[in-house]
Amino acid sequence: MPMDILPILASLRRHKVTAILLILEIALTCAIVCNAVFLIGLRLDRIHTPSGVADNELIMVRMSNIGGRSDVRARTLEDLAALRGIPGVRSAAILAQTPFGYSGTTSSIKLSSDQKLPTISYVSTYFGEGVVNAFGLELVQGRDFSADEYHWLQDLNLGLPGSSPRSVIVTEAVAKRLFPDGNALGKDVYIYDEPSRVIGIVRHLVTSQEWVPGQEDYSMILPMRVSPDAGMGGTYVMRTSPDQRDRVLDAAVAKLKGLDPRRVLTQKSTLEKQRATFFSADRATAGWLIATCAALLVVTALGIVGLGSFWVAQRRRQIGVRRALGARRVDILRYFQTENFLLATFGIVLGMGMAYGISLFLVLQYELPRLPAHYLPMGAVLLWLLGQGAVLSPALRAASVPPVVATRG
Amino acid sequence: MLTMNHLAKVYRTEVVETYALRDFNIDVKEGEFVAVTGPSGSGKTTFLTIAGLLETFTGGEYHLDGMEVSKLDDNARSRIRNEKIGFIFQAFNLIPDLNVFDNVEVPLRYRGMKAAERKQRIMDALERVGLASRAKHYPAELSGGQQQRVAIARALAGSPRLLLADEPTGNLDTQMARGVMELLEEIHREGATIVMVTHDPELAARAQRNVHVIDGQVVDLTEEPRFHSQTSHA
Amino acid sequence: MFAYYLELAWRSLRRNKSLTALMIFAVALGIGACMTTLTVVHVLSGDPLPGRGDRVYRVLLDAEPMDSYRKDGNPLDQVTWVDGMNLLRDGKADRQALMTGGNVAVTPPDASLDPFYIGARYSTSDIFSLFGIHFIYGGAWTAKDDASRARVAVITRRLNDKVFGGANSVGRNLRVSDADLRVIGVIDDWDPQPHFHDLDMNTYGDSERLYLPLGTSRDLGLGHSGSTNCYGNGRSSEKELETQSCTWLQYWVELDTAAKRDAYHEYLVNYSRAQHDHGRFERPPNVRLFDVMSWLDYKRVVPGDVKIQAWLAIGFLIVCLVNTVGLMLAKFLRRSGEVGVRRALGATRGEILTQLLTEAGMIGLAGGIGGLVLAILGLWLVRMQPHEYAKLAHLDFTMFLATFALAIASTVVAGLLPALRACRVAPALQLKTQ
Repeated sequence: MPMDILPILASLRRHKVTAILLILEIALTCAIVCNAVFLIGLRLDRIHTPSGVADNELIMVRMSNIGGRSDVRARTLEDLAALRGIPGVRSAAILAQTPFGYSGTTSSIKLSSDQKLPTISYVSTYFGEGVVNAFGLELVQGRDFSADEYHWLQDLNLGLPGSSPRSVIVTEAVAKRLFPDGNALGKDVYIYDEPSRVIGIVRHLVTSQEWVPGQEDYSMILPMRVSPDAGMGGTYVMRTSPDQRDRVLDAAVAKLKGLDPRRVLTQKSTLEKQRATFFSADRATAGWLIATCAALLVVTALGIVGLGSFWVAQRRRQIGVRRALGARRVDILRYFQTENFLLATFGIVLGMGMAYGISLFLVLQYELPRLPAHYLPMGAVLLWLLGQGAVLSPALRAASVPPVVATRG
Repeated sequence: MLTMNHLAKVYRTEVVETYALRDFNIDVKEGEFVAVTGPSGSGKTTFLTIAGLLETFTGGEYHLDGMEVSKLDDNARSRIRNEKIGFIFQAFNLIPDLNVFDNVEVPLRYRGMKAAERKQRIMDALERVGLASRAKHYPAELSGGQQQRVAIARALAGSPRLLLADEPTGNLDTQMARGVMELLEEIHREGATIVMVTHDPELAARAQRNVHVIDGQVVDLTEEPRFHSQTSHA
Repeated sequence: MFAYYLELAWRSLRRNKSLTALMIFAVALGIGACMTTLTVVHVLSGDPLPGRGDRVYRVLLDAEPMDSYRKDGNPLDQVTWVDGMNLLRDGKADRQALMTGGNVAVTPPDASLDPFYIGARYSTSDIFSLFGIHFIYGGAWTAKDDASRARVAVITRRLNDKVFGGANSVGRNLRVSDADLRVIGVIDDWDPQPHFHDLDMNTYGDSERLYLPLGTSRDLGLGHSGSTNCYGNGRSSEKELETQSCTWLQYWVELDTAAKRDAYHEYLVNYSRAQHDHGRFERPPNVRLFDVMSWLDYKRVVPGDVKIQAWLAIGFLIVCLVNTVGLMLAKFLRRSGEVGVRRALGATRGEILTQLLTEAGMIGLAGGIGGLVLAILGLWLVRMQPHEYAKLAHLDFTMFLATFALAIASTVVAGLLPALRACRVAPALQLKTQ
C-alpha cells in the first residue's frame, strides 16, 4: 500500500531540528562514503598493477663489496655461473634495477636529435644482460638483444667511444606514446642524444620506482651489462619455481659467500615480498579507509535506530490512537519506513552535492582524479538500504504498540 | 501577602487575542486559606501560574509579599519561586528518576543549602507528611496519595511563605483525597498561607474563603454574572 | 552545585544505558580515529630542528640549460659540485655546508664482528655547528681538513657503542671501505624527523651514523646515494661527478637575521647572473632560500595519504557529533517535563543549561577516555605497519591533552543546541506525558 507522503512531511516539520540533524548525518555519510569507496578502489587498482614480470618466481640477492676491486667483471661472470648451477634455478642474471624497488634510473627519449623537449621525459630504464628472460617478460613484437649488442654500463658512464646502446626494447605503453599512429618496431629513437633502434616490444614492464599515475608501464630496457661496482650496483635476479624460492635463496647466498667471503649481503628477498613492501602504504591506507567507512556506516545506522526509537516512544499514544482508529500493524510499519525513506532521500540529495564538493577539494589539494559519477547512485542505494535496515527494529516496535494505549494517559 | 490589581493576561496569536484574565483583582492575607473556584476554562489555572511566577502577565499589578513582581527578570523570578513559593500540582509532578528523598531535595539544591541542613529539612518535611520511612522509594513504587504527600513535603521543605495548590486531589480517589485535604488543613492551622485552585465545591468549602472566577474575572456570586465577550478580533 | 549536576548527569546517563553507550561509543570512535591520524600528521610535520629551523636555509640555484626552460619553473633541489664549491668559497653566510650521503662498509676493529654497511654523510666542516649537533667526545673537523681531504671521521653514539663499546674513541682508527679513518669526534645520535637535510634518504627513521669530509669521500671513491640529476651532456658516472653537469649535493646555510637572509638572496641572484655572463648558466637567475619548515612544506614531506586519512577521520568525527547532537536533542526534549518542574521549583534557565551541559561534558569525558584507548590502539596498529615513519607514531603529552580537550569541547558544543532548546521549556504546572 503506498503511503500518503504529505502527512509524514507535516509530522516531520514538527520535529524539524531532529529531522534536519538526521538528514545531515545521512548526507555527510553518503558524501564521505562515496569518496572513500572511490579512493579505496584507486588503491586496490594500484596494488594490482600488473608488473609484466613473473612475480612469484623471482628471487633477488644483492652483495656489496668492501672497498674497490679490480676483478669485478670476471668475479660477476663466475658468480652467475655458480648461481645457474644451483638446482631449481632456471635463469640467473645481474641487473641494475628491479620492479617495485625504491631506486632506479630514468632517461628521456626524443624522436630526433635536434628536438628540444623530450617526447617522454621519465622512462624507467633497466640495465643488465638478459632482462627479458630473467624477468620472464612477454615479448609481443620483435626480438631480444643478441649477445653482441651488449656493452658495459661503466664504459658508457665513462663516455668510452662505442659504448652507447644502439638498440632498445620498450613496453607497449612507451611504444604507443612515441608512435601513437604507427608501429614503433624498427624505428630509431634518441636516448642520451644517440640513436637507438627499437628492436623489441614487451607487453608490460612496471617501472623500477614510484610512478606518476598512468605511467606505471613507462619502462625500457637497454643492452648494458652491469657489475656490482657500477654506480648503481647490481642485483642477482634468479627465476625458480614458487615453492623452491626460500631454499634457492639460502643456497644462493651460501654459494656467493663461499666464492668470496669479503662482501656484505645487503638484500635477500623474493620479488613478491618486495612488491608487498612497495604497496604496504597503499594497503594500510585502503585498510584505514575501509575501517573508517564501516565505522561511519555503523554509527549512522545506530543513530537512525536511536532516533527512531525515540520517535516511536514519543508517539506511542498517537500510534495507539491510529491503531484504535483501524490502522493495521503493517500500516504503522510502512509509516515509519516511508518516513525513513524520505529522510534518507533528502540526505542523499544533499550528500551528492557534498560528495562533489569533497571530491573537488581532493582534486585541488591532493591532485587525485575526480569522483566518477557512477559512485553517486551506488552511494544512494547503500544509504537507502542502510536506512531501511536500521529503521526496521524501531518500526517493528511501533507496529507492536497495542490499540489500548490510546485509552491510557 | 498576595495582591493583584486590574491584572490582565492576553494570549495573542496572529489573528486573534484571547483574554485569559481581565481586570482581575484578588487580595490574600497572610495566614489565609483561599480556594479559587470556577468552571473549566474560567482562567483559574492561569491565575495560579501567574501567582506562582510561572508566567508573566500583560497588564495590571501583582504584589507578592509586598514586592511588585512585573519588572523582575527570569532569574529573579526563579529565585522567588524557589524561596517563597511551594507548589502542589494536580499530577504530583515528581521526577520519576529521583527517589522520594531526592525529589524533596530539588528546591533546596537550587537554594545552595548545605547538605546537613538539607537532610534535616527533608526528613522533617517527610516526617510531617508521614512518609519518612519511604525516603528511598521511587515515585512509581508509591500510591497516588503517597506521591501527593511527597509533593507536599517538597513544597514544605523550603519553608515557603505561600503554598499554591492546583487541584491537589484531582488525580486521587476519595479516600486518598480526604487524607491530602486533612494534611493541607493541618498545615494551614500551623500558620501557612494557602491558595488552592479547584473546581470541586466540596473541597472549596473546606477553605476559609472562596473566590469564584468566571471568564477571567473574580465575580461576586451574589450578583448576576455579567456578559463578557471572550475573544475580540485584532 | 556542580556536584549536584554531576550526580544528576550520572543518574540520567545510567537511566538509559544503551543510548548513553551509543553516544559514548560514537564520540570515542570519532575521537579515536581523529587522534590517531592527527597524531601521525603531528609527528610527521614536526620541526626537525627546533630553535634553529628558522635560521637554517636550503639553497637552490637554477643551472639547467635553456632548451627545457619553462617560465615559473622551480630550480632543481640539489646543486652541482662546481656551484657548491663556488658558494662555499665565497662563504657569504654565517655558516654553510655542502653535503651528500652514501652507504659505506665498516669493518670493526674487533675481528669477531662481521663487516656491515651503514649510512654515512659526506659534508664540509660546518655541518655540526650549522645543525646544532652536540658532541659527546672530541669535535668536528676543520675547513683545513676539508681542503686536505683528511682521513678523519665523526661517528654517532650508536656506532661508537657498536664498534668501540661506548668508550671515548677519539684518536682511534675505523676501517671504512678500504681506508682507515681517525675518529676525531663522537656525537649524540642525530636523527631529525623528518630527515630534512636530505630527503632522498629515507624521510623518517634512523639517520646516518658516520660523518666524514666531503673531499675525503671523493678521494676514497665512496659512492653517494640519493638522487643524481643530470642535464645537458651530464653523465652520472660516479668517478667524475665533480665535473659533470649533474646536481647531487645539498647546500645549507645559516643566516641569523632577516637582513642577512635578504642580502644572501641578493648574493645568489648576483652569483647566478655572473655565472650566466660566464656562460655556465643559460637561464635567467632563479634562486630559492627555504627555511627548514618551508622546505618540508615545499617538498610535501607529509604524505598526502596521511592527510587524506586525517580529513576522513575529521569527517567521521563530525558525523559522530551530528549523531550525538540528534540523540541528545531527543533525550533532552524528552525530559522537558522534568525541566518544567525544576523551573517551577525555582531552577534558573542557566542552572538547567549547566545541568544539561554537564551531562554532555560527561559523555565527552567518557568518549575522550574511550577515544584515548582507541587512539593508543590505532597508533599501535600504525606502528605495526612497515612505513619508515611507523615507529614514530606515539602519543605525546600535547596530543594526550588535546584528545580530552577535543572530546569534551566537541561534545559540549554538540550538547549546546539540544541544551539551549531544552532549557527554553517554560516552568510548568504539568509534567507533560506526550
